[in-house]
Amino acid sequence: MKYNENGVSIVPSEFKKEIFDEARKDFRYEEYVRGCLNCGVCTGGCPPHRFFDFSPRIVLQNMKSKDPELIWTMMDEYIWACFQCFTCAMICPFLNSPGGVIAILREIAVRRGFESAKKVLKPYSRVLLKLTAYGNQLSPDMIQPDFFPDWGPHIGYASTDLAVKRKAIPMPTLQVTNLAWDVAPETMKELYEIFDEAGVFKILEAVDPSLYEIVQDIVDDVRSS
Amino acid sequence: MAIEISNRLGLANVKSDYIHAAGRKLEDIHEQLLELEEKGEVKVIRVKDENKPIEADTLFGWKKKIPIDKLWHHKSCGQCGNIPGYPVSLLWFMNQMGLEYVDERNQTSCTAWNYHGSGTSNPVGLAAVAVRNWHRAYELGLFPLFHCATTFGDYKEMRNLLVEHKELRDEVRRIMHKIGRELVIPEYIVHYSEWVHVMRFEIAKLKKYDLSNIIATVHPACHTYKMIPEDCIYDKDIYAGKRTAVSTGVALALGAQVADYSTWYDCCGFGFRHILTEREASRSFVMDRKIRPMVREAHSDVCLTQDTGCTTTLDKNQWIGKAMGYTEQVPVMADVMFAALACGADVYKIVQLQWHTTDWRPLCEKIGIDWKKSEEEYNAYLEELKAGGKTVNLYEYPADEKTGSKN
Repeated sequence: MKYNENGVSIVPSEFKKEIFDEARKDFRYEEYVRGCLNCGVCTGGCPPHRFFDFSPRIVLQNMKSKDPELIWTMMDEYIWACFQCFTCAMICPFLNSPGGVIAILREIAVRRGFESAKKVLKPYSRVLLKLTAYGNQLSPDMIQPDFFPDWGPHIGYASTDLAVKRKAIPMPTLQVTNLAWDVAPETMKELYEIFDEAGVFKILEAVDPSLYEIVQDIVDDVRSS
Repeated sequence: MAIEISNRLGLANVKSDYIHAAGRKLEDIHEQLLELEEKGEVKVIRVKDENKPIEADTLFGWKKKIPIDKLWHHKSCGQCGNIPGYPVSLLWFMNQMGLEYVDERNQTSCTAWNYHGSGTSNPVGLAAVAVRNWHRAYELGLFPLFHCATTFGDYKEMRNLLVEHKELRDEVRRIMHKIGRELVIPEYIVHYSEWVHVMRFEIAKLKKYDLSNIIATVHPACHTYKMIPEDCIYDKDIYAGKRTAVSTGVALALGAQVADYSTWYDCCGFGFRHILTEREASRSFVMDRKIRPMVREAHSDVCLTQDTGCTTTLDKNQWIGKAMGYTEQVPVMADVMFAALACGADVYKIVQLQWHTTDWRPLCEKIGIDWKKSEEEYNAYLEELKAGGKTVNLYEYPADEKTGSKN
């Protein structure tokens, strides 16, 4: 994708139409985008609307307009403001799901490796690594003062004697420091097969090629163990 | 003259003959699932008599069977590394009640936190992971119990998509055959908070402390009741059936006061991505929309949660509020942890509050819990473990599960 001197993407209209068509072909699309009264209930209840330039009503209206230009305006930063709480979906009188539409658009953004998606997800790579390589997510050794200084001085509790503090937890699955729980290698191998077959590893390669290489090294090690 | 509400107590106790259903008319996915089973399209993990189910009402008044016994614990990937007292408190209650369960290594994350944060998956990947974990419970002859609200919301959604879309079923079935598993779907998707809710009166029998002077505020998790809203427990005797009953139900059964606050419906600010990569949004949300209303309007002694991300976000982001002159603080813990405290579980060894950031000691003192004694015993225990001592576990792996193998 090309960008002008202001960082605004220069994109042919055919490509924008292709993106809209891709969203519309998703098998969930018809369920998420129904009639819209423009009542704004979704935006009134939307948590990120209070802090970001983001409105689920606009998301729905743009999709209903079927105008690829309007839909394209959301593809860079706009879609990443959503909290995915689905408040909008619960309170919509027409049972629309703007949060569901956002999920579809995000999938497209990462699948196609948009630069905006790469930039937004860069600080997220530690989580992506744990998840795709080990079938887990937030491990005890990730919760350190260096990464979470704004969580206060007590966050350092996990910095000292972590192994013995984890050993003191009376669930054997939790007595590890580098994973949320101890996942069996055979279980990881099943997850890798799912990720291969469902195209999840391909998505990771598109959005973060260097992380993908690290993950693949771990996957190869586990598979050969 | 306007009515001034200085302390919003009592609303949780309002009773009604009706449950508000918001005019929605949806198909009962449970019936469709059983029809698919009859056609041989899927296998269903049934709630059996041996699971000793208790029925509860959902949003439309549909009945949901909550299994009590012979459960397979589906842990939370954000909870175990961060809030270990959450799953430990749940297992502690099950031990107190002599119930059977399995907690093992043969489980993956549902991967839905990652999906909602980063978009790096798709419905086939999410559904295949769900069925993989459901099948593990099925082959052990157990019923799966999901600890995380996002798992609960995601698995409810995946069950619905699998029931409604043959193409998705076919694709997931193909992948399951590759890993030696089958397409199975649980009869009900059950969250641990639903187990706590239907067991609340049994839990209350174990109560050791008087909670009548404790004011709790409840933060209902979005993915519990906003994702697939029709499949969530409502009770005509709690909030008059206008809000989900889980968490509030157990607090009331234990004799605590549950106070209302104006932003009860707001999310916690977790945002899936924001909590890690755009934390100023999470921080602002926590203080402005949740903690301050809980303290200022309800004079809350404790915030009760029912999810991983909410507990983390609401607990961890209070300290930094001081930088903006926000002095309001309230300890945050899951309903099951609060219940365990009330029933005499050890503050450090079981409820594991030492991992929490916001000060919980004033709450313990108000309840009458001697946390200092618990701390001394815990520190001595750590020294024992350092010297090569053995952990006193709530649960031990059966021999064949140490490897996490399928057999």
